[in-house]
Amino acid sequence: MKIILRAILITLPILFFTFFYLYINEDKYYPGADFRKFEMPIFKINSLYDESNISNNDLKGAYLVNVWASWCITCRVEHGFLSKLSNEGIPIIGLNYKDKKDDAISWITKFGDPYELIIHDLKGELALDMGVTGAPETFLLHNGNVIAQYRGEVNKMIWNDVFMPIIEKEEIFNND
Amino acid sequence: MLIEVAHYLSILATGLFFLCFLFAFILSAKDIFVINLVSRVYTHGFLFLLISFLIYVWLAINDNFNVLYIAQHSNTNLPTFYKISSIWSAHEGSMFLWIVFLCLWGVIFNLFTKNIQDLKAKSLGVISFVAVGFLLFLLLTSNPFLTILPIAPENGADINPVLQDPALAIHPPILYLGYVGFVIAFAHAIAFLVNGDPSIKWESLVRTWSISSWSLLTVGIALGSWWAYYELGWGGYWFWDPVENVALMPWLAATAFVHSLSVSIKSSLLRVWTILLSIIVFSLSLFGAFIVRSGIIDSVHSFANDPERGLYLLGFIAILIVISTILFSFRLSILASKRNIASFSKESFISINNIIFGTLIFSTMLGVLYPLIYEYLYDQKISVGAPFYNAIFIPLTLIAGVFLFFSIDSKWQRSVKIINFLSPMSVSLLIAGASLFLVNYFLAINDYWILLSVFVGILILVRYMFVIYEYLFKRKYSNPYSIIAHLGLSILIISIAFNSEFSSERALNIRMNESDTYRGYDIKFDDLRLEKSSNYDAVIASFILNGSDGRNFILKPEKRKYFARGQITTETAIKISPLKDIYMTIGDQLDDGSWIVNIQLNYFIRWIWFSAIMMAFAGLMLACSLVRGKR
Amino acid sequence: MIRPCILFTLFFSFYMSADALYEFESLEDEKRFYNLIKEVRCPKCTSGSLASSNAPVSEDLKQKIIELIKKGKTDKEIKDFLTSRFGNDVLYNPGFNQNTYFLWFAPVLFLIMGLMMFVIRKNK
Repeated sequence: MKIILRAILITLPILFFTFFYLYINEDKYYPGADFRKFEMPIFKINSLYDESNISNNDLKGAYLVNVWASWCITCRVEHGFLSKLSNEGIPIIGLNYKDKKDDAISWITKFGDPYELIIHDLKGELALDMGVTGAPETFLLHNGNVIAQYRGEVNKMIWNDVFMPIIEKEEIFNND
Repeated sequence: MLIEVAHYLSILATGLFFLCFLFAFILSAKDIFVINLVSRVYTHGFLFLLISFLIYVWLAINDNFNVLYIAQHSNTNLPTFYKISSIWSAHEGSMFLWIVFLCLWGVIFNLFTKNIQDLKAKSLGVISFVAVGFLLFLLLTSNPFLTILPIAPENGADINPVLQDPALAIHPPILYLGYVGFVIAFAHAIAFLVNGDPSIKWESLVRTWSISSWSLLTVGIALGSWWAYYELGWGGYWFWDPVENVALMPWLAATAFVHSLSVSIKSSLLRVWTILLSIIVFSLSLFGAFIVRSGIIDSVHSFANDPERGLYLLGFIAILIVISTILFSFRLSILASKRNIASFSKESFISINNIIFGTLIFSTMLGVLYPLIYEYLYDQKISVGAPFYNAIFIPLTLIAGVFLFFSIDSKWQRSVKIINFLSPMSVSLLIAGASLFLVNYFLAINDYWILLSVFVGILILVRYMFVIYEYLFKRKYSNPYSIIAHLGLSILIISIAFNSEFSSERALNIRMNESDTYRGYDIKFDDLRLEKSSNYDAVIASFILNGSDGRNFILKPEKRKYFARGQITTETAIKISPLKDIYMTIGDQLDDGSWIVNIQLNYFIRWIWFSAIMMAFAGLMLACSLVRGKR
Repeated sequence: MIRPCILFTLFFSFYMSADALYEFESLEDEKRFYNLIKEVRCPKCTSGSLASSNAPVSEDLKQKIIELIKKGKTDKEIKDFLTSRFGNDVLYNPGFNQNTYFLWFAPVLFLIMGLMMFVIRKNK
């Protein structure tokens, strides 16, 4: 009886600390990455450029949705990489988040437009429905479902480590 | 350069403490020469450390920006008080302070106890060992003595405006003093276990140190709560934030510990519990330091995320705790008492108290760690917050309260028949029951938990009224410190219940020179002005409030924009009254020119902190009486 | 009054002021709102509830919650709305399901075991 008690008393702290050791050393995924699957919310919002409406029907297949704004400094940094992706044939939809139309259009004109379409989400309603907390954020969609999202700047490393594994596994973008 | 002197002194101190540890454990502690040596080496080690720290404070006051840490956290524009407090505003400096306080307790213990006292040498040895471990941590991974050479920056970085606050400036030092004070008990426990002689009454040796540490810890936590209330702008006083929980656990363990300590001193019972608790209190303090500084838990309190520091701390704390538990488990037999605890004796109630507090500590730890475990196992995130902690703490606290109530009639080392008609106990039950109906009828309280809390609170309160009456008028002796502290507890329970039940808030929308009403208060938006201060611009709104009781007063909430970082803070305006606080902040201005104005009525909130002060006061008075008793 | 107003808007030049009124149809609704925002975690902050946060996304969520309350949604429906968009960790209540049974039951078991040991040792 005493030996059992002794054993418990000694192993408990050791287990406790081992857990922490493992936890600290664990190769954590990027904290900004999330792989929760959910359906793209139904929406109908103005395009940035004109009065036409964009809705779910305009988006089919596989594409990225990138949340950006002219007031977002990190978006400027991310922009270069997005342009590169776009040139490689990856379709990106822009979601202009809580931005004045004129500010957004100037920004895009100045830095270039890597997007197929740009949704002008002035009030951030669609963004809220997608679980957006700020800019920049990027979502990977396939057949109407979000299958990956990243909060923060997407660069080559993040693209390779967070998005590419899923892209390859689900064989998206193969038809382009 | 002075900073290098300070650096060198800290290294020397580390060496001396290490020597002290060696002497204490390798040389024979029975030899008075050895004890004197250990004592002297310890004091010298502390002196070096103290001078090192004082030099550091001097450099901070004199804006020496060659020191990297001072450049990062202080600024020529700060008042001297905040230049000093900036030292503990971030990881390296606060760790330095923590270590100084740890060794400070040790040196006071050293100087105020005779060298022939049992276990003194080994206790100093243990304290030294802990000091060495943390000093190495400081010097190797978190060095506050790093310099910017050859040219110092013109001025330091501006510190977070939120930190430029008197309560927040003294909250860490008081809290640290509380945590590290338990090293004395811990050191004695380890020394006792190593020594192996069960007849040594180590418990009597640590009582004063433990009670004063407990009081400081109580004040430190209450200060944090009070600061958060008036500074953060949303009127809460406890958030179950992971780092708050990690501060609460040592306090829970400490409370159980000081009670268990009394039993062990008076009746030599519960010695196993007492020793275990002394190890647990200090371990939880260390664990708290680890959690906050390793960055593995997200919290507004955490210092920078640094896995390397986390690993080092984890390793050192693991060594301390595992050695302690090994010693404890091997010496269990010498501690176990031969006598039984009498049923319904005071000892039995305190024993149950230990179990209840143990459950609270276990539950808090579980709540803090669960998101980590969950993420590790299931790769998903969850949050554990107020709903969980409230569900555990409220019932358990009330159960503990009920046991407290019955324990008042219990005696040491014997059973007494406590159920008696016409005794103070039954009268208290009647009065509490009656007040329950009154409260339900007149105050329209229907929530069962609130009613139960009020019942238990009043039960204890009324019972102690009888105790005080008998103490004053019938010369029936009762421990006055216990009375005050437990009265404080009953007030705490009632205040939290009423605060939860009656408090309310609303976001109003008011234009300049117009009014709105809330709960019998007419609120007139009287003035709005822009003011400049040394490091911020402020928008100050003035509201004239007219209560239905005829009283009027002015409240001036503000919004500030600090120059250096462009940070915007909201400053609350509070009108304090015995029953409630009237609490206002301003939100944003809308396009139509009107402002969003937040008003809250927080009932009994001052009583919550008052009860904490009562408890701390009782502890302090007890500590003083113990010190006087020794002379 | 015009000059101060301009000063104030300069003072507060955020990107877009998200604040709007908190309007409720009843006292019940208002109370529900204030209770809900204490239980919902601010998705962007390191820690803290919606109640304690001024972050833009917090304000948006508060407005959304008010809107849902007005639409007659129950507390559960509102919470489901939030978790489907922000994940389970946006609620401070970890939930009562097979993954969290241990969290809720362990304290009770601990207490019972402790009390049992107390009783057993006393009767020895």
